[in-house]
Amino acid sequence: MTGNDIAIGQYLAVETPLNRMDPRLKLVMVVACVVMVFLYGTGWELLSFSVLLLVVLAATRLPLLPVLRSLETVWVIVLITFLLQAFLTPGEVMWHWGFLSVTDTGLSNGITLSARVLLLVLLLTALTMSTAPLDLADGLQSLLRPLAYLKVPVSRVTTVVSITLMFIPGILEQSRKLVKAQMARGADFESANIFRRVKDIVPVLVPIFVKVFHDADDLALAMDARVYDGGKNRTRLHPLKIGVLETILTVLFISTAITIKFVL
Amino acid sequence: MHDEPHEIAAENLTYTYPGMSRPALYGVSHRFRQGEFHAVLGRNGSGKSTLALCLNGLITPGEGRVLSCGLDTSVPTNASEIRKQVAIVFQTPDTRMVGSTVEEEVAFGPENLGLSPLVIRKRVDEALELAGIEDIARRQPQQLSLGQKQLVAVAGAIAMEPSFLISDESTSMLDVRSRAGVLKLFADLQERGVGIVHVTHFLEEAAIADQVVILESGRIAGTGPPGELLSDPTRVRNLGLDPLPATMVAEELAALGHHTGGYILTAEELLLWSRA
Amino acid sequence: MVSRLSLKDVSYSYPFQDAMALSGINLETRPGEVFCIAGSNGSGKSTLAQICAGLLTPTSGSVLYDGKPARSGSRLLNLHRNVGLLFQSPEDQLFADTVRKDIEFGPRNQGLRGDDLAARVIDAARLVGLPLQDTGGRSPFSLSEGEKRRVALAGVLAMNPEILVLDEPFIGLDHDGREHLISALSSYVENKLATIVLVTHDLSGAWPLASRFALLSESRLVGIESKADLVLGNTDMLALGVRLPQWGVLAKELLHAGIPVEDPSDPSCLAKALVRRREVRDDR
Repeated sequence: MTGNDIAIGQYLAVETPLNRMDPRLKLVMVVACVVMVFLYGTGWELLSFSVLLLVVLAATRLPLLPVLRSLETVWVIVLITFLLQAFLTPGEVMWHWGFLSVTDTGLSNGITLSARVLLLVLLLTALTMSTAPLDLADGLQSLLRPLAYLKVPVSRVTTVVSITLMFIPGILEQSRKLVKAQMARGADFESANIFRRVKDIVPVLVPIFVKVFHDADDLALAMDARVYDGGKNRTRLHPLKIGVLETILTVLFISTAITIKFVL
Repeated sequence: MHDEPHEIAAENLTYTYPGMSRPALYGVSHRFRQGEFHAVLGRNGSGKSTLALCLNGLITPGEGRVLSCGLDTSVPTNASEIRKQVAIVFQTPDTRMVGSTVEEEVAFGPENLGLSPLVIRKRVDEALELAGIEDIARRQPQQLSLGQKQLVAVAGAIAMEPSFLISDESTSMLDVRSRAGVLKLFADLQERGVGIVHVTHFLEEAAIADQVVILESGRIAGTGPPGELLSDPTRVRNLGLDPLPATMVAEELAALGHHTGGYILTAEELLLWSRA
Repeated sequence: MVSRLSLKDVSYSYPFQDAMALSGINLETRPGEVFCIAGSNGSGKSTLAQICAGLLTPTSGSVLYDGKPARSGSRLLNLHRNVGLLFQSPEDQLFADTVRKDIEFGPRNQGLRGDDLAARVIDAARLVGLPLQDTGGRSPFSLSEGEKRRVALAGVLAMNPEILVLDEPFIGLDHDGREHLISALSSYVENKLATIVLVTHDLSGAWPLASRFALLSESRLVGIESKADLVLGNTDMLALGVRLPQWGVLAKELLHAGIPVEDPSDPSCLAKALVRRREVRDDR
């Protein structure tokens, strides 16, 4: 709690192949994966995809696991999802304690749903950790550009997305600060269990968002002062360039993910 | 940087924040000239930051008008041209940085102007050199000290090649060493013909300006050269500000029957008198 | 008297960072004193403030409370409940939906309820000059910057801490706000025989309060000086990034120019010294 460790969604300027990859390819890849995660129906499909994803991420040496390990809230959400599914889905009863019973469909639903939540968190964390917010915004602007012809306010969307991305780490950072402020005034966090700690976070959500919105307002003003309009006419000091090798690898990865669905 | 000097003219400027009954600025008129250093001085809540935001159209006046380099800030289509000419740096650089490296941060403004990568490169290098931070070009802004961050923010403004630089209390969080660095950079920019508008509550920073504007409850309580405005300790105290100690010594000298003649604001001027 | 809070060989480095934020710090505070820790932005002074309040655990060395190390468990909680920390930014500290609840938070954690609790809140609000009947039910976030700072300080004072750690309490305050804070703090120290650890890069607010000044530079303690040392001595304050009160700067410049200064804080003394210098020249 008191450490200054990495926050979820925070960009990490480390030299990995994933960091060097064009943000547009990463966006396409993540969107494809998210779609596939929802399309996979069986536990085997999800398991195969998880193995594929973990192998690829391990190969990029992005330090993802320490971040995920520290994410108490994510684990609590996964645990609750799992328990709700396991206990509340009707089906053939496997075990029961008093009025609570676990069914076979409940168990398998619980596992697949928790796996989906975990995979989504993993994918988005990998994306935001390896891509600077501005690169992501510029990549998004470039991908969505055709939509501007359909009168979609692309610049506005990318402005909102880029400011949001810059503030994801801020939310966690701010909640850490407030927990610290409460500790300084004698709140007992040390002996509290994980549920108590999550419960203690709830009352500070309002001030966290007050502060984060205030900061976001400041940032929007500062960007406005530097003539940012959502990136419509933006050029770049280091222009975005899609390489041949990274395109091939992306296509390969997505095809493998699709193959899993139809082969298994 | 330009052939004929520009100016920012606030004309009878009145501004009220949404939901507030009392105006934050009331009937403010002043001309800020390119190539000059103007300090805006006032206590908390005097309206000095509001004035700063009005000067490049980040907020637009309810009554009166602001002409920035001849362009009316109330006209929305003027916004991007005005922001090219009038750059601004704020009190806290931390929450306003967008780039993941110092050079990308400095490049952000020129990138939004749609310049070619080569021109952006040249502007970024020049701005980094002028700010004396070439050695940290590849570092992450988050890892820098507050003083370095503020220099990066000023470099980002310089890269826009503006006619004016507005500093909205950009030194108030900094330690003296960092403050000296930022003020030195302002002086260098002024030498290159940029107009500086520095909002501050430090009297010693206003004392180095060409012109001082004092705000009190949203109104102008005085404009003029620093000697004229800041050399009377009683007047300064009444404005809720700390008088410069040299002016207090000069006051004592006058009480002892020694009249110093010209205005005295600094130790140097006191020493000059003692040696005369 | 035993020092209630002291630091022994304290070093600290942040996770994922190689550089030391603090190294080998030794400090002892005395009851009834305002102890100032002065250093530039990035010298490690905020880290030191958090270590004093037990919010960061030293990488090596220890924080001693009442002579015993407070590292974890009940001793650490005891440290949290007896050492009040005022954060640099009130936004990092305030969280409750009303001013009153925010000020109540600390004393509640100390187990106070009912009339005792109400009395604590009223006392604290009075000390910082906060009109509770007007603002008590409002959200702290709807207040002005100066009022927010008062609520934040009241929240800390309501715990009746024996030791008060203040991180840059004067930054952003104007002349009136600063004078007010100075008088509130000095009456707190006098009445409670409390200890204040004041962390800052600008000594003009700390000057009327503090007697000893620890100078922090690049994560190390480079000296503990008195006011006279600071003004009359040779320490380069600009290089340290520490701002002396403006008259201190003036006195230093006059001294440097060879003008003898007896009482550097008295303008009339400085004026007389200047007159003597001028007359000496006239005689020649």
